[in-house]
Amino acid sequence: MIDAGQKTLPMMIVFAVLLVFVVAGLLYKTRDGSEYGISGRYTGRVGGGAAIASNWMSAASFLGIAGLIYLYGYSALAYVIGWTGGYVLLLVLLAGQLRRFGKYTAPDFIGERYESTAARLLSAIISIIISFIYSVAQFKGIGIVFAWLLGTDYSKGVIIGAVLLMGYIVLSGVMGVARSQKLQYFVLIVTFILPLMFLAYRLGYFWVLPQFGYGAAINTLSTEFGINMTAPFANFGLFHWTALCFTLMFGTAGLPHVLSRFYTVSNVRDARWSVVWGLFFISLIYWSAPAYALFGKLLEARSGMFLPPQVAYKMADVVVLRTALMGGLPSWLVGMLAAGAVSAAFFTVAGLLMTGAASISYDIYYRIINQQASETSRMATAKGATLVLAFLVLLAALNPPGQIAEIAAVAFALAGNTIFPAFLLGIWWSGTNRCGVIAGMLTGLAITFSSPLFGGLLPLLNTIFPLPASALCGAPLVILVMIVVSRFTEPPSAEIQRFLAEEVHGE
Amino acid sequence: MESPDKQHRVNLFRPKQGFMRGEVKIMLSILALWGIASFGFQLWLRLSASDGGKSWLESFTFFNLPFHYWFTAQMLPLWFILICILFNILIDRLAEKESRRKEGFYD
Repeated sequence: MIDAGQKTLPMMIVFAVLLVFVVAGLLYKTRDGSEYGISGRYTGRVGGGAAIASNWMSAASFLGIAGLIYLYGYSALAYVIGWTGGYVLLLVLLAGQLRRFGKYTAPDFIGERYESTAARLLSAIISIIISFIYSVAQFKGIGIVFAWLLGTDYSKGVIIGAVLLMGYIVLSGVMGVARSQKLQYFVLIVTFILPLMFLAYRLGYFWVLPQFGYGAAINTLSTEFGINMTAPFANFGLFHWTALCFTLMFGTAGLPHVLSRFYTVSNVRDARWSVVWGLFFISLIYWSAPAYALFGKLLEARSGMFLPPQVAYKMADVVVLRTALMGGLPSWLVGMLAAGAVSAAFFTVAGLLMTGAASISYDIYYRIINQQASETSRMATAKGATLVLAFLVLLAALNPPGQIAEIAAVAFALAGNTIFPAFLLGIWWSGTNRCGVIAGMLTGLAITFSSPLFGGLLPLLNTIFPLPASALCGAPLVILVMIVVSRFTEPPSAEIQRFLAEEVHGE
Repeated sequence: MESPDKQHRVNLFRPKQGFMRGEVKIMLSILALWGIASFGFQLWLRLSASDGGKSWLESFTFFNLPFHYWFTAQMLPLWFILICILFNILIDRLAEKESRRKEGFYD
C-alpha cells in the first residue's frame, strides 16, 4: 500500500512491545495480591486518569483522526472537539452519580435502575452492536498496519492481524495477564509523540513542541502550494459540523466501555478528578494528531504528489505511517509508531470483545435464557461468543465501509441516541420508567440507522439524522419519547426512587 | 402521573434544597461555559465570514497557527480541561460546606 516488502525491524519492535505488555501484566498480577490487598483496586487520581485515557485510545485516535484531518482539514476538527468535549458532559452529568449508583456496565445499570429484564436485554443488545461497530474500525487499523509490516495487501493484513489478536487474547486469558493501564498509556504517548518530534526536527520546524511547530507547515502549504487546510466549513457546513460534534459528545458520555471506567477509583471525589486527568492525557494525543496530517500533506506537496480525491480517500487512514516514512524517519522509530498503533487497537478490541462476550453470557444467556447455568457453562458461552464476535467483526472489516474514525463515529451515534439518554434520565429524573426507557432506546436505534435504511424513501431523514451525526436531533427526540411514555405509564417503584434520592443524590 | 412518594422525587430542573440545589447550579453554569465555547465560536466564525467566505478570525496567526484553527484545535480541548477543573473545585467546596453544616447541625 505504501511501500512493498517485509519490514523486519519494525515487525520485531511491534512484537517486542506486545511481549513487554504480557510480561508487565504478569508481574503486575503477582504484585497485585500483596501490595493492593486491602485497598482493593485503588489506583489514585492520576492512575485513574491514565486508565481512562488508555481505555479510550484506539486506532481511531492513533490513526483515524490524522486521516480525517488529512482529508478534510479544519472540518475534521469536529472529531477532536467531540471526543474531548464529551468528557465534560460525562463529568458534569454522570461521573459522580454513577460512582454512587454502583453499577457500571450499561445493561447492569439499566436493568437495576429500570427494574426490567426487557430493558436489560435491549441495552445488552445495543452494547453488543456498539462494540461490534467500534471493533470493525479497530480491525481496519490493525489490517492497515499489518499489511504494511508484512508487505501484503489489506485483506491479508487484516486476517493475519486478527489471528494474532485472537492468539494474544487467548494467551493473556490463559496466563491471567492483568492490564497495566499506566504502562499502556505511557507506551502510547511516547510512540506517538517521539516520532512526531523527530519529524518536525527533520522538516526544520519547532520540534520541542511539534503541536505548535506544525503551524509553519500550514503556512507553507497555503503560501507555496495554495493548499488551504484551515478553511472552516469547507467540507461540511455549520449544521453538519455541529451535529457531528454533538453526536460524538453524547456518544462519549454514553459509550458503555467508557462509562464502566469509574470502578477503578475508590471514591466519588477521586472518580471526578480522574476524569480531568484522563481528559488531559487524551488531549495530549489530540493536540498532536493534526500535525501528522499536515506534515503528510506538506511532504506530498514538496515531492510534487497531488493525489486525486479517490486515491487520497483510500490512503487517508494510513497517513500517520506514511508521513513517518516519507519524512525519512529511521526504521526503528517507524516501528515504534506501528507498535503504538497496534497496541492501541489490540487493547481496545480485546476490551470490547470481552465486554461484548460477557454481555452475551451474563445479561442474555444467564439472566434470560438459563438461570440455572453453571459457572463453567457461562465461561464457555463467553469464550465461544468472543470467537464468534471476532469472526463477524473480521468479515465486516474485510471490506471496511469508510475511514476508521467515521466507522467509530457510527458507534458513538448509536451510544448517544440510546445509552446516553437512558443514563441521563435514569440519574436525573426519577420519573423515568421501564416503558419509557424501552420506547426511547428503540427510537434511538431506529434513528441511528434511519438515514441508510429509509433515507431513500424519505430524504428528509438524511438531513436531520445523517448517518454518523444523528444524535444532535436524535438524542433530544429520544429523551422526549422517554419522558412522554414514562408520564403515561406506571411510575417506577418507590424503592428505586428512594434509592435515587437518598443514595445517588444524597450528599 | 404523580409519584407516590413526593420527597423522593429527583428532577434536574426542580432540585431539592441543600446540596443538590447548589450542585445543579454549578452543573448548569459549567454546561453553559461548555456550550458557548464549543458552538458559539463556530457560529461566530460562520457569521463573521464576509461575502468572499473568509472571516477576520482567520486572518491573523496566534501561536504559529491561524487564530480560528488554534482556537478550535488547541484552545477548546484546553478549555474543556479548565472547566472540568473548575467544576471539581466548586463541587469539592460545596461538599465540604455541606458536611460542615451537617456536623454543626448534629452537635
